[in-house]
Amino acid sequence: MAWLVVRLAISLSLLYTASAVFEDQVGKFDWREQFVGKVRFALFDTHSQASKKLLVATDKNVFASLNSRTGDLFWRHVDKTGPEGHIDALLMYGQDAVVVVGNGRLLRSWETTVGGLKWEAVLDTGSFQAAALIGVQDFVKYVAVLKKSAISLHDLSSGSQIWVENLPDSDTVQYQTIYSGGNGLVFVLGFVPSSHIVIVEYKIEDGEIMKKKSVEAAWMSSLENSCAVISSGNLLCVDQITQSLYTLPLQSAEPTEMRTIHLQTLDLEVASGFQPVLTSTQPNPAQPPLAEFFLQLSPDHHILLQLKDDLIAPLRDFNPSYLAAFATSGEKTFAAVMTPKNDTACTINLFSADTGRRHLDTTIIYHMDPNGGKPNRLYVHAFLKKDDSVGYRVMVQTEDLTLTFLQQPGRVVWMREEALADVVTMEMVDLPLTGTQAELEGEFGKKADGLLPMVLKRLSSQFILLQAWMAHLWKLFYDARKPRSSVKNEVTIDTLSRDEFNLQKMMVMVTASGKLFGIDSKSGTVLWKQYLEDIQPNSIFKLIVQRTTAHFPHPPQCTLLIKNQDTGLGSLYVFNPIFGKKSHISVPALPRPVLQTLLLPVIDQDYAKVLLLIDDQYKVTAFPSTKNVLQQLQDTASSIFFYLVDSSQGKLSGFRLRMDLSTELIWEVVIPTEVQKIVAVKGKRANEHVHSQGRVMGDRSVLYKYLNPNLLAVITESTDIHQERSFVGIFLIDGVTGRIVHEAVQRKARGPVHFVHSENWLVYVYWNSKFRRNEFSVLELFEGAELYNSTVFSSLDRPHPPQVLQQSYIFPAPISTLEATLTEKGITSRHLLVGLPSGNILSLPKMFLDPRRPEMISEQSREENLIPYAPEMPIRTEWFINYNQTVSRVRGIYTAPSGLESTCLVVVYGLDIYQTRVFPSKQFDVLKDDYDYVLISSVLFGLFFATMISKRLAEVKLLNRAWR
Amino acid sequence: METRVGSRACACVALLLFALHACLGHEHIKLQEDEETSEDVKFRSPGEDQVKFMSPGEDQVKFMSPGEDQVKFMSPGEDQVKFRSPGEDVRVQVSGRALVPGVRTQDWISNARVLLDGDTHVGFIREDGGFSVSDVPSGSYVLEISSPTYRFQPVRVDITATGKMRARVVDYIRTAEVIRLPYPLQMRCIGRHSYFIPRETWIWSDFLMNPMVLMMVLPLLIVVLLPKVMNSSDPEMKREMEQSMNMLNSNQDLPDVSEIVTRFFSPPKSHGRAGGGARAHVGGAHGVRGGASNVRGGAPRRRSKINTAVTYSE
Repeated sequence: MAWLVVRLAISLSLLYTASAVFEDQVGKFDWREQFVGKVRFALFDTHSQASKKLLVATDKNVFASLNSRTGDLFWRHVDKTGPEGHIDALLMYGQDAVVVVGNGRLLRSWETTVGGLKWEAVLDTGSFQAAALIGVQDFVKYVAVLKKSAISLHDLSSGSQIWVENLPDSDTVQYQTIYSGGNGLVFVLGFVPSSHIVIVEYKIEDGEIMKKKSVEAAWMSSLENSCAVISSGNLLCVDQITQSLYTLPLQSAEPTEMRTIHLQTLDLEVASGFQPVLTSTQPNPAQPPLAEFFLQLSPDHHILLQLKDDLIAPLRDFNPSYLAAFATSGEKTFAAVMTPKNDTACTINLFSADTGRRHLDTTIIYHMDPNGGKPNRLYVHAFLKKDDSVGYRVMVQTEDLTLTFLQQPGRVVWMREEALADVVTMEMVDLPLTGTQAELEGEFGKKADGLLPMVLKRLSSQFILLQAWMAHLWKLFYDARKPRSSVKNEVTIDTLSRDEFNLQKMMVMVTASGKLFGIDSKSGTVLWKQYLEDIQPNSIFKLIVQRTTAHFPHPPQCTLLIKNQDTGLGSLYVFNPIFGKKSHISVPALPRPVLQTLLLPVIDQDYAKVLLLIDDQYKVTAFPSTKNVLQQLQDTASSIFFYLVDSSQGKLSGFRLRMDLSTELIWEVVIPTEVQKIVAVKGKRANEHVHSQGRVMGDRSVLYKYLNPNLLAVITESTDIHQERSFVGIFLIDGVTGRIVHEAVQRKARGPVHFVHSENWLVYVYWNSKFRRNEFSVLELFEGAELYNSTVFSSLDRPHPPQVLQQSYIFPAPISTLEATLTEKGITSRHLLVGLPSGNILSLPKMFLDPRRPEMISEQSREENLIPYAPEMPIRTEWFINYNQTVSRVRGIYTAPSGLESTCLVVVYGLDIYQTRVFPSKQFDVLKDDYDYVLISSVLFGLFFATMISKRLAEVKLLNRAWR
Repeated sequence: METRVGSRACACVALLLFALHACLGHEHIKLQEDEETSEDVKFRSPGEDQVKFMSPGEDQVKFMSPGEDQVKFMSPGEDQVKFRSPGEDVRVQVSGRALVPGVRTQDWISNARVLLDGDTHVGFIREDGGFSVSDVPSGSYVLEISSPTYRFQPVRVDITATGKMRARVVDYIRTAEVIRLPYPLQMRCIGRHSYFIPRETWIWSDFLMNPMVLMMVLPLLIVVLLPKVMNSSDPEMKREMEQSMNMLNSNQDLPDVSEIVTRFFSPPKSHGRAGGGARAHVGGAHGVRGGASNVRGGAPRRRSKINTAVTYSE
């Protein structure tokens, strides 16, 4: 019964605390962009000309269908991360697509119009080599999957396995390719390096080995790229060392030697150090491939060749050419080749595959982004027009993962920035003031020079304001006359300016591929992008805002620290976050690995905050390092402390800066690594404000918060992962003195631990391995009924340890990330934003995570608005801030304060990006969206007229009475 | 049958409590709470210096009576021994069916997924509504169907080291309690997600049903309608009413509300002539009575007509 009562009380209290989205707010201030990742396979639906489908499979284990007219997603299926969800192959037949997943573990067939799964088959384990569609008598009926030691054949309509056969001598022979020409046979090609090629011939019906032969090939090093089957079963290989082409008819009765054709006889030569690539095409799996093929001789040299009557003849030489691809429409096959035009543009032309002749009027000009990477993949969709001429569209993928879809004669139909599927870190930067606003600001910045000039200046700036206002009015008037649809507020970099409440900001996003983006937070438009070349794939990024837009005329400045994970060596990239331009500030060289960075509140004469970089010899580099800065650093050196974490040795150490920018060790905490390892260390956010110093209790006394700005939360996990003995440790350590303020151990628990450290509290989530559920735990630190030193907090002078309160709760769902809302002054109550694997973002009031929640309601607890304790945390779908706009694979949540105290800006990034605003205490400082202006004004006017009329009536009445 | 009655009674009590709470605040809930959980709860004052720790796991112990833990299949302490047997790598396929009544499968499956323990294992739903998640190692998992539109109840799936499987109701508080569900799983949609809360709209009916407004309007209606209702009754009644009204209105000096309002809004010049104002006041009172007499004047005439009609019929 008590249970019920508690639940009831909670549900009642929820009625008042709930902050949900209203239906009419959908899309008003939130947006979502969906991404797929780096495209590994892309296939156009070529079965009808009107088809708009483009199927892609990506390195993010995503299989999706894109609308080729707009670039939007039709549907998308997100598999699990890691190798188990890896897409190995994508094949398409008719309306269905076959996908091989998880190193050949699963075979799935998808219906491509609605994106439904048709069937799924589990295959035997074994490393995946190749997959191919097998046709019999002009019909595609089967799909064959080649593993390292076995081959299996599956029915296409049901997925059932027809047969599976072990491959002969699979321990010595590397089988890599399957080929079938539609004649009832399946060829499996393998080789023994530097020895011979093995060809095994299977019968389709029952998997019987018809023939097995081996052919000498001492030069052989790989089958995959340097070999191809062309023209009714001729194996063709190319070798760079011998500079030769080799051909072999697969169905020849006698195992003969491979025929050698020296490239010299064709006047060709493979560039030194380049592995030549052969590309052939088999438009219909039930028919043999074409006799034409591409040979790539160097990174920018392709040649189209043809095999005819056992002779190889060049059809057309493309030198220089970046990319080449085949495309088929109906019976005809075409070749599209991208050739460089000038430094900034490329041309793509269409050639007939069988003759090598160029089709007239098929040139597409592709303009390369000067801030982007080089094109590296070309996907072509060719189609026959009504007048039998050929038309085509191309999709170009670049190194920086931009997908550009082009149409003749070079119109960009759509573009997708797939680098954004992997955002690593981000910051939000205030937009600059407009020119007129800046002019006004400038007036206050300048030194006063006499009364009259000041008056004149004021008058002139007021005049400018008036002018701007008139222009604005005129624009409003002008726009009002135009139809609604044509008035589209295009956000460009020139029209960017801060709005009244600073709700619109610039999102600076850093992606794993090394591409930087500047995105308008209001609309999601990419305003600038910058691809940083030669970034190692596993680099660590740290983005620091050194100067905000508040210091006009100095431009804002962001610094990106790029650190190589293996060597630890770092480099700095300084840029303007509003325009994305690289700054020309001299950057310090970092010859030693960087261990830690520290952004000081110290500013130089140009208002840039000073960044300290600590290398592995504990030497400190300051950036910027002008004389002024060094002077300031010398003055304040004794109060600059920093900490280093060495998780491999379980060591936390604190250092103090010396006058000469060297450091001295102050404290060291060693957490023995044989028992537990440090997983995460987090301080508090530098830009957070705490409005209230304490909490008013029910009896009107004040419980003061322990607000230590130097407090570090250290999370450890036990090395023993046994269910009974595993634990999670929490240490709260003062970063200046190294004093352990609090220590807690969560037994029978394991990670991953997500936590938020803010104000005087720490909230963490762990997995309770005994009861197999997620649990939230909250730690709150209080000084007690009186403050020790109410003016300033000093870590060095804190004789009393804080009081720690803790409570835990069950969270009935898995968690992928955790963050807390942040507002300008910290008056608004806090909410926790919980990213769930289902893609929803739950906004959980911090009120529910209060260690003072009583088990028993008392007069005092009611006075304090404490919710009675209940072990299970509620999850209500009304609290999902992103309603049905789910965000796949949430990786991080970024919160930023806006100019309105009630409003917190939230960006969720993962595979998708979602931006919204949350109002943890509702919108108390602005009129609500649904504020009923009509009602209020009608009541006002009604009252006004009522008084007028009644006044008149009263007068008439008075007059009448006077006459009586 | 008895248990059902019991639960219904419980629900009734809950409803009652709800109503009481809504009316009178937290008082009753507190009382209830005191009765139920007084034995094991210590009140913790914030001034206490020691670390407080309350874990839901400890709570759990209170709820679980020792007799309840009859499960042999998997009590929390036991299963890990089975699950962690080394050298054995059982990987099984969890399968079932998902159904949204009244909706064609192809309309909802393209953005639905089957998730086991977050996204450690992912499955997709086939066009016939069936699904299977393959390569699941032994252990205990919570299987849920994540769809942005439709809501499904999650199910706990237990897989033993030998690959045996069973499904049961998810209960995060009593984790050892087993309420079996059929396997292969039958996932039935339990409605749509409600993401939005309705706006507080201003509707006339809401305004009129407001108790304050009702309190104002009802007396007004009585004042306006009652005399009319009375009018049609017989003259004796009327006379009685009049007498009683006269008795009520004995003090004629009582100022009329409408009078005060009119005076308040009238221009100040009328205030200047105090005598005029006073006269107006008296006149106003007269006027009201005059109006009443008018009504009286009209009514008898009508009644006389009726009377004549009656005589004619006679």
